[in-house]
Amino acid sequence: MVDERGQLYTIEGISAALIMLVSAYLVVNATSVYTPGDTHISDMQLEQLGTDALRMMNTPVNATANSTLQDILYYNNGSAFNTTFLNYVNNMTGSKIDNYPQGLHYNATVTYYDIANKTTGSLPLAYYKYNLTGGEHPVRVTEWVIVNKAFPGGGGTSVKPRAVLVEVLLWRD
Amino acid sequence: MAGLNEDAQWIVLMGFLVSFGLFFLGMLLNQSVIVGQTTAEGVLDFPKNDIRDVNDVIIRSVMLKSTGNITQGQYQTLHDDITIISLSRKKAVVDFTPTWPNPPLDNHTYIQYHYNNGVTEYNEYWTSS
Repeated sequence: MVDERGQLYTIEGISAALIMLVSAYLVVNATSVYTPGDTHISDMQLEQLGTDALRMMNTPVNATANSTLQDILYYNNGSAFNTTFLNYVNNMTGSKIDNYPQGLHYNATVTYYDIANKTTGSLPLAYYKYNLTGGEHPVRVTEWVIVNKAFPGGGGTSVKPRAVLVEVLLWRD
Repeated sequence: MAGLNEDAQWIVLMGFLVSFGLFFLGMLLNQSVIVGQTTAEGVLDFPKNDIRDVNDVIIRSVMLKSTGNITQGQYQTLHDDITIISLSRKKAVVDFTPTWPNPPLDNHTYIQYHYNNGVTEYNEYWTSS
């Protein structure tokens, strides 16, 4: 004769097993909860890389010297900016030739305040390898520079030094 | 109803407990996604580099005047450049008020500055060494 007393025990056993499985699954996954925000982590890394490069370029060798970036802006030397900036952002362990190119592109401009017209204006500084076409997803990194030079709409050449903002759009293709 | 006993009551109670447990775990799973998102957004929204950057240029401009390298008029030009470009290109309200050194009583320079981009507000009182 078949006895049916064990049925609820069996169901309980199955439920308990399921709970243990779900708990184990939750614990294993707790360290890697993937959220929409995480997709921006590569952007944050690129932003930090560009910010660090610009900050290094704007650090003078001593208290009285000009920084590299100040000299670049003073002489409007786009090719020097290109060389130094690409060198910093692509710099890594090993031979430079092995690592070149890294697929990093940028477009740098200088924003100044136009005193006469009460607006801000931008001057192109340098870019690599081509200008933005609109399909890229660049991050924007900036660096404030005080440069001993007059800018357009500055009310004559005597209005200096000026504080300008170097803006770099940086993207990887 | 001969032979009927009440042993199964414990088993039904266990069933309830198990279902509550499952419900609770479901709530945990649901909330863990939101926790990760708000943390990531908090990190993304905080303008760390912007604040450091503007902090740096404010101190440089004030110290140029403080050490006698530029005049009051030149300092005012730098002050306007920083506040106006911050507003137009960084969408942040920036303002700073220096207290110049007053030798021989006090050789230090003090700067009270404010940063507000609509999400993050940051104020600092800086003292030169």
